[in-house]
Amino acid sequence: MKNSNYPDSIIEMQNVGIRYGQGAEVLSDIKLSLKRGSFHFLTGKSGAGKTSLLSMMYLAQKPSRGIVSVFGKNVNFTNRDALAMLRRKIGVVFQDFRLLDHLSAFDNVALPLRVCGMDEKEVKKRVTELLQWVELEKHINAPTSTLSGGEKQRVAIARAVINRPELLLADEPTGNVDNDIAAKLMKLFVELNKLGTTVVIATHSDKLITDFAYPRLHLQNKTLRIYRPIDMVNPGGVHGL
Amino acid sequence: MVYKAMTTRKKELPLQDDSSNLFLQIMISIAVFLFGVTLAGVLSINSMLATWNNSILGSLTVQVMPINDTNEEQAKAQTLAQQEKAIELLQAKNEVEKVTPLNDEQLQKLIQPWLGDGIDVKDLPMPRLIDVKLKKGAEVDFMQWAEELAQAAPLASLDNHKLWLNKLIKFADGLKLLALTVLILVVLITSGAIFYCTQTSLGLHKYIIEILHLMGAKDTYVAQQYAKRTAWLGFIGGIYGLILAIPTIFIIANLAKQIEGGIISEARLSLIDWSVIFSLPIFSMVIAMITAYYTVKKTLEKFM
Repeated sequence: MKNSNYPDSIIEMQNVGIRYGQGAEVLSDIKLSLKRGSFHFLTGKSGAGKTSLLSMMYLAQKPSRGIVSVFGKNVNFTNRDALAMLRRKIGVVFQDFRLLDHLSAFDNVALPLRVCGMDEKEVKKRVTELLQWVELEKHINAPTSTLSGGEKQRVAIARAVINRPELLLADEPTGNVDNDIAAKLMKLFVELNKLGTTVVIATHSDKLITDFAYPRLHLQNKTLRIYRPIDMVNPGGVHGL
Repeated sequence: MVYKAMTTRKKELPLQDDSSNLFLQIMISIAVFLFGVTLAGVLSINSMLATWNNSILGSLTVQVMPINDTNEEQAKAQTLAQQEKAIELLQAKNEVEKVTPLNDEQLQKLIQPWLGDGIDVKDLPMPRLIDVKLKKGAEVDFMQWAEELAQAAPLASLDNHKLWLNKLIKFADGLKLLALTVLILVVLITSGAIFYCTQTSLGLHKYIIEILHLMGAKDTYVAQQYAKRTAWLGFIGGIYGLILAIPTIFIIANLAKQIEGGIISEARLSLIDWSVIFSLPIFSMVIAMITAYYTVKKTLEKFM
């Protein structure tokens, strides 16, 4: 998946701050360089700004100050169509799923492929395979409003990975599923990462962090610190990994 | 099962459920109705103007005033003699193609509408009228002809229709301008309604549109869904408007025909005119589609 046209860093942030309206900054002086093919956990207490940081990464929000570059493009100087093209390389699992409840599980998962204008035969093939893999083939035609929390989460994850994204951002992706499914989903993320996808998973789960030895982006006091896996027990951290 | 999922594919934006659809459809129906009736008026006026212009260019009328005499027979004979002299003079002109004196029956028919059915016009002293058809492109010195006519038949006078027709043409032009203004206003008001309904709908579906954007949809992807939906509303609204407009046009045409005098009846719609009127649903569809498409594109520019 490595593409020589792209820089090594998938995401670059320099002195980034973000505020809502006239309020105080929720994130300050964020510096980050996310290498291609890396795998990170994003941690921090509730309200620490994990969702704000992720929303800048998946291009839902521009920074109030500083520079954010995604796939080598400064988002402040990228036009709307080009931003849309960048978003097609990003898969996102939202904490609240953000499924379209009037659509079936099939149509929800097919969404990223259809907005790219993919042929319906290929859409059918890919979506069916993936829904079988996440054990939702029985609910393929069910409106997502009728699914349980765990089923919705799997639909959301299937939607995020259907387009084989270069960057996968997940906000608490295993929060609503049982341990078996959680393990299976983590295995999926790891496999995608081995294939070259850069992965960032926001989580509160200590188990997840200790089970998988990946570096951690930790938000505290509005700033970002980066810890190596080895520093888990003794957070003191190494910056700018 | 997958086949079912594909064939029953729903649009991401449930625009068919928008409450503004009915309003928009009624609005477009009314607009197409008004547009159709006004357009028929404009096209009729155009055809009338063309006929009148041809009348100015191609013909003139000579009027021979009746001689008043106690002996009616003698008076009529003298008047007819004057008419014959005028005809001789006109037939001798190179520019003239045909000279046709109107007979008693034609004269009575002309004057009947002005006097009503109750009066027997046969007993009235009637001026004689001569219809003169000019050759195509003929240039006539009307002053010179009028002088020659006055010498040959002192009771004859020349009327080239210009004066009264010019006034009528000016009036018709004014009506046409008014109708065109109405047409433009109808288009603007309809576009405005589509603009605001589309904006309202964008607000309602903001959540879905944000998700579509996050999945990598370009603004055109959203705009196309709106354009398709609004085009359909424009077409259906246009059909309803046309269904109302056609009988109305016929009713107005029939009412106009009842106004005798040979002016209104000259307003006829040609086959091309009718095809323009019948294409109004297509026109409303295109206007609706373009307005919705650009409204969405413009509005979404404010989104991230």
